Amino acid sequence: MVVGVGGVPVGAAGDEDAGGTRRGVLRGLMVAAAGAALVPVALAAWPEETDGKNTDVRAGDGIFEETYRGRLIRGVPIPSPEQEAGDVDWHVTVDGRPLHLMRRADGSWLSMVDHYAPAPGHLDGGAHGVHA
Amino acid sequence: MAYTRKDVSTLTRTEKRRFVKAMLEVKRRGEYDEFVRTHIEYYTSDGEDDLRTAHMAPSFLPWHRQFLLDLEKALRRVDASVSVPYWDWTRDRTTTSAPWTADLLGGTGRRSDRQVMTGPFAYAEGNWRIKVGVTDEEFLTRDLGRARDPIQLPTKADLERALKDPVYDASPWDSTVGKGFRNKLEGWGSGRGSASWQNHNRVHRWVGGAMVGGASVNDPVFWMHHAFVDLVWSRWQRRHREHRYLPAKPPAPGSAQYRRVVARHEKLPPWDVTPDQLEDHGRIYRYA
Repeated sequence: MVVGVGGVPVGAAGDEDAGGTRRGVLRGLMVAAAGAALVPVALAAWPEETDGKNTDVRAGDGIFEETYRGRLIRGVPIPSPEQEAGDVDWHVTVDGRPLHLMRRADGSWLSMVDHYAPAPGHLDGGAHGVHA
Repeated sequence: MAYTRKDVSTLTRTEKRRFVKAMLEVKRRGEYDEFVRTHIEYYTSDGEDDLRTAHMAPSFLPWHRQFLLDLEKALRRVDASVSVPYWDWTRDRTTTSAPWTADLLGGTGRRSDRQVMTGPFAYAEGNWRIKVGVTDEEFLTRDLGRARDPIQLPTKADLERALKDPVYDASPWDSTVGKGFRNKLEGWGSGRGSASWQNHNRVHRWVGGAMVGGASVNDPVFWMHHAFVDLVWSRWQRRHREHRYLPAKPPAPGSAQYRRVVARHEKLPPWDVTPDQLEDHGRIYRYA
């Protein structure tokens, strides 16, 4: 049992924060990883940042889908009432399995497969993660 | 009495053997995988709102100091003569030097799947299955030097750039800070490409494989790497004796970092210890 600085329990067993929160996604990832093949892809392509080559964005619902190196990458924006307008969280899956992502203060992203270098948001930034 | 952490390139055959044996036992007992889980759980990023403890924050150094101590305690419960050696990557810079020998960590992964095939932590040896990982591969992976597109380990000059900064850390206390020792050592730079990962971060990428992802603790080199990072913190303290851990006081309500970083006298989750209490390790261990 872990207590954060403000006295709020964090990461406690039975903490039902399923959905878009970081810890909920992470737990889902760990469960999915047992026996499932989570692909080692560092995803970093977002609708606003692609060069339009491999993109297939479904208009109107903000969902992003792309096939990259034979894998289906899908991003679903998660609206969150407390966030500022235009600021969204993404639930990303690769071949249907969740890829946990964390946002960095400078706007780049970290994925579970790459925690020590940012993926800037372009497909080529994610490409080196595929090679990992 | 304080015990000693040695340079990994100076370990005797016996010391290496005992270290390996203790690691395999801690793994067998199930304790090792708890460390893997803890590191994953405590990796929070600065683009999100949670408290940051282990990374992208001033407490990066005390957090890993305590984390290392916990692993060392587990090792010493098996064999009280064992301590974690440090890997000076500014000096031991090749894929075949210490610690990448068959009697200690084994070498790089093979080309097809980056699987480590040598040494006691190779999957084929049967004593090191990855249980908490990013993929469902059960074998340890490495790609020393990133074979397809080679990179180099940080140099003494890279480290010096961090060491000479007399201030421990600076607002906003995250991965975007351009000054201060902590972020220069942790290694978050601006821009893209290899300039954006330095020192500590660069070493994780140089090793490759498991060490690049959230489950980096799966590679035992994690501890040797962080022991050196810990030693570098001690060196910085000796060089700048009047400078202490920052922030001294928590960021105020209304500040962007309110409740997102740990101040000098606040408890550092998941422990009850404060960064202040972790600043001096001299009564527990010393570096040789």
